[in-house]
Amino acid sequence: MESLAPDTEVRVAVAQCFQTLTTSTDTKDIVAALQTLHSYLDEGPASRTTSVQRAEFRRAHFTRTLEFLVSNIQADWLAGLTAAQQAELWDGLFLKGPPEQALLVLMEGVGALRASTNLDRLVSITEKFLRSGRLADLLWSYCLETGPSDSPQLRETLLGRIVALPDVTANRLHLKNKRLFLPQQYYPLLATEMLTALERTCRALKDGTDCSLTFVAQTLGKVCIQGHSALVLAVLAPRLSVCTRSDMVWQRVCWKLLQNVPQRWMESVLTGLVQAVGGPGALGRIIGNLVLTNKKAQFVITHKLLLLQYKYETQVLRIVLGYLAADRERRPLLIQVLQSVLQAWANPSAVKHTPLEQQLYVSKALLLSVSLLKDSELQELRSELLQCMLGGMQSHLDSSVVRIRRMGMVVGECLSSRMDINKTKLKFEYDQDEDTRELLSLMTPMPGGEAEAEHVNGVESPHETSETTPSTQNAPSQNKTKTDPDSDLDSDDELTPYDMSGDQEMSKASPPRYLRDCLETLISSEDSLRVELTLRVAEGLVRKNVFATREVSVQLTKVLLHMEDKYSINGFLTLRQAAMVALIVTDSISVTQYLTTEFYSLNYSLRQRLDILEVLTLAAQELSKPMTEKRNPSLGIAAGTDLTPYPGDNPVHWREVVEKRIQSKTKRLRKGATQPPAKPAPNRYAPVAGHFFFPLLSNYDKPQVTFDLLGGDHLVLGRLVHTLGLFMHLAVNAPIAAQMGCALLDFVWAVRYHVDQMVRRGVLFAVCAVFLSMPSENLLVDLSDRLFETRTWLADVAEEDPDADCRSLAIQSLVLLDKSLKKQLQDQQALSMES
Amino acid sequence: MFRPAPSPVYTLRGAGGPLNTLHFSCHGGDTPLLFSGSGKGAIHVWNLNTRRAEKIVEGHSGSSVIWVSTLQETDTLISQGRDMQVCLWDLSEGRSEAMDSVWTGSVGFCQCSVLETSPGTRLLAFAGQQTEEIKIIELPSKTPVCTLVPDAKLGMVMCIKLWQPDSGQGPLLVAGYEDGSLLLWDVTQRSMLSQAKAHPEPIMCLTFDITCLRGVSGSSEDKLSSWMLDRQNNLQLQDDVTLVNPGVSQLCVRGDGKLLASAGWDHRVRLFGWKKLRPLAVLQYHTDMVLSVAFSDHQDPRQRLLAAGSKDHRISLWSIYNEGADTG
Repeated sequence: MESLAPDTEVRVAVAQCFQTLTTSTDTKDIVAALQTLHSYLDEGPASRTTSVQRAEFRRAHFTRTLEFLVSNIQADWLAGLTAAQQAELWDGLFLKGPPEQALLVLMEGVGALRASTNLDRLVSITEKFLRSGRLADLLWSYCLETGPSDSPQLRETLLGRIVALPDVTANRLHLKNKRLFLPQQYYPLLATEMLTALERTCRALKDGTDCSLTFVAQTLGKVCIQGHSALVLAVLAPRLSVCTRSDMVWQRVCWKLLQNVPQRWMESVLTGLVQAVGGPGALGRIIGNLVLTNKKAQFVITHKLLLLQYKYETQVLRIVLGYLAADRERRPLLIQVLQSVLQAWANPSAVKHTPLEQQLYVSKALLLSVSLLKDSELQELRSELLQCMLGGMQSHLDSSVVRIRRMGMVVGECLSSRMDINKTKLKFEYDQDEDTRELLSLMTPMPGGEAEAEHVNGVESPHETSETTPSTQNAPSQNKTKTDPDSDLDSDDELTPYDMSGDQEMSKASPPRYLRDCLETLISSEDSLRVELTLRVAEGLVRKNVFATREVSVQLTKVLLHMEDKYSINGFLTLRQAAMVALIVTDSISVTQYLTTEFYSLNYSLRQRLDILEVLTLAAQELSKPMTEKRNPSLGIAAGTDLTPYPGDNPVHWREVVEKRIQSKTKRLRKGATQPPAKPAPNRYAPVAGHFFFPLLSNYDKPQVTFDLLGGDHLVLGRLVHTLGLFMHLAVNAPIAAQMGCALLDFVWAVRYHVDQMVRRGVLFAVCAVFLSMPSENLLVDLSDRLFETRTWLADVAEEDPDADCRSLAIQSLVLLDKSLKKQLQDQQALSMES
Repeated sequence: MFRPAPSPVYTLRGAGGPLNTLHFSCHGGDTPLLFSGSGKGAIHVWNLNTRRAEKIVEGHSGSSVIWVSTLQETDTLISQGRDMQVCLWDLSEGRSEAMDSVWTGSVGFCQCSVLETSPGTRLLAFAGQQTEEIKIIELPSKTPVCTLVPDAKLGMVMCIKLWQPDSGQGPLLVAGYEDGSLLLWDVTQRSMLSQAKAHPEPIMCLTFDITCLRGVSGSSEDKLSSWMLDRQNNLQLQDDVTLVNPGVSQLCVRGDGKLLASAGWDHRVRLFGWKKLRPLAVLQYHTDMVLSVAFSDHQDPRQRLLAAGSKDHRISLWSIYNEGADTG
């Protein structure tokens, strides 16, 4: 009976208060009732109630009280209280009692109420609740073993409320939301409250009290899985990294925290963490040997972050691998990771079927882990490394994508130099670009300590920089004053140089002046100088003398096609190409006939076949452009010098300046009319487009001994399809375009699922070109039977293809197709309406 | 962003031979004139307003004219030909008569140098009959002043420049020789002051800027060598400039000391900033060796011209780097 007494007593008292609050109109009574309720929350010796009564109130009546208050929020008596009384008696109840109950009631209330002053009141109390650090109290109360015992459901609800507070408020308050409830402010606040709770835990542990971190860990996990890991960990990670530096208790607390994160949320916490910490050391201190104890963590760290995902920065890779390498117990995992990464890198199917970005990511991971290995470990792994490296190199070098090849070369070089095979190492020639530079830089270990130190005193650094900036500003100004007198003396500087690129070395021999001499020299001459000169003037001669060109065009093309750079002439390839293009442009039909036949004949190297495609492309492009009259501005000088005004240094120059000035001063109401209409000129490409196009389509499926287009020679096939697509594109508005389009679609249909991405890209480009250039009526009529299939195929590619270019091209062609079809259908509708 | 390479303002044709030498006379009189000496022995007087040859003087019996100049106070033209004669011509009032001639005895290509010492008298320096000999005479009296012969074997005299230094001592003369040496002579003392080996090849031309005591010489190789006189009258070699193609026929510094022009065997005229020999422009127009360059002596700097005479029988005229002249 004794134990029941306080129970009933409290219940009676609370019921009385409720009664008073509902019925009474006297302010005094109401204040008294509220004070009675308060008295159950007041701690300390001055309290009128016993601790047993207080505990009973907290356990059974607090939530009820708050709910009652919220439901009576519109009651008259509330209006009767002064602002100070309201704040103390009414709001105080929410801020003093058990925080978890208060939060639940508040969130309930916010969720239930419509927009009104009452809602505003609740919101302001919630804001006060957050600002006064009640969240930390809440977390801390769960850290204590003696914390409120609760059901899993309640705990789940509470977690949900804490984590989703910004969502709840935003849903209810819309634009009137408080700043504090925005995710950008709330989650950092939550993080600091978590830190406070952890700090109290540390203190308690030092005092010998047991604590449980389960609830904090659950909160952390839930926040991270809901996608706020960046905001929370941006606050948590640096602080933890600093605290764990020297304090073993902090380290223990962190490890415990991470261990207590539920399995299902572990991944998001870890991925957030590796992105937020400053270096591998910090990660090691915070998560300890979690990878060894927790299966999920091991999977995430050693597998998912490295092999399945590839969105992270290189820094993340450094941190993850550095973390694995840092500890003796974790070291075997590093080797295991290296093996799996190496296998992934060397896998020929992966080279073909995974996106380029992922391959780059894997290459980075590989190089980083190799650079972290010790020499002794390397010795053990050597044979395996070597085998995988050679296989991987082969599949990379086989690829037709330049970046993949280059990646293979860099990785091969780095691996071989690291393995130190009999002091020999691979050396490739490649152009440096961003990728290669980054890959190469990975082999040099980063000064990790510095990076971390920088991170730690990130707070103080602004002061330092502000101090250092004046000195750096001073330095250049001093330099300037020093150099100033010099520049005064040096009066050469005021004279701006002219373009001097024309100042080339003079050659002794004179260039040939007739095309036939050209031909003769190229066929028979052994004199490097003459050959070079001839090659240099060949293009000009071909263009200048059309009739002479027609006589020897095929012969000259043959010579040029078979020509080799025997004398390593500067710019040989461009010169030869320019000459061949000029030949095709001048005498399109016979030269294209020759070249397209040769493309499929025996005894040509791939290079020559590619050359053929290249010159055909360039020539088609040139033909399709309108003819430009002004070919050689330097010739005009000799003829018309007397016309130029005498003092004018550079007439074109000032005329441009005047023109610009007029343009800038003139107000235009409409754009467009000012430019003279383009002069119409006949399209030179349209009549010959078929000669470029159809012969190349005729023989592709007849494999030669040396040339198998549908077999191993992907590179040529890709280029061929691309070139055909270009011919198609240039043939827009030509009468023959419809036939070309049909033929091209027929052709590419066979190779649309080719393994090589270059070929697929070419195919999609060609399809785009067809949709662009083919008249829409033909598209519907000629392709009606296959249109549906094409669409499905394109949609499939747009979703599934590993190559980003292919995907975007497929989307592009779908858009084009739809546009074209829509236009056609509308036209038809319009026609039927008219009739 | 460079400006496009410049083109000539106009060209003068019809000289009928390679143009060995050019000389402007634009500061006095109404019509700016350009004198040119051709390989066929004719001296053309070009009127730069009409851009036609105003007068053609034939006086070296068909031998190549290698040097023309005008004397300051009169309408007197002085010319040197390969017939070993230096002739003085009276051009005043439309005349074109030979007033006087001096026999030099030199079979080389060395151009004379003339220095006006006082109104009416002048010193003429020319290569003499002997290989290394430089003779200086006074005009119009034709009295020999001195003969300068170096002690060592240096080969033919290739080019000379005579000037009167500001320091008040006697006239000085710098000469380039066939073995690439430069010699500085004191004319009154008849002694050699300094010697420098500027080029491994024969010196083809030199020019000397009296105001800053700097000179530059060109050779048949692909280098221009610049040098300087210090206070003790020592020749000190300075920077080289490497040209794209070897061979320089003539060098000329503009009157304001800002530009240096070189006439190249590679058909091009090159312009350099004179202070630091920074390459500024390459003038491409001619189709054969450029033999001579000259800057005009217009009083208005904006009208200044550069003329280049070439073996292709043409003279090209360029207006270049004149824009900033009114401010500086």
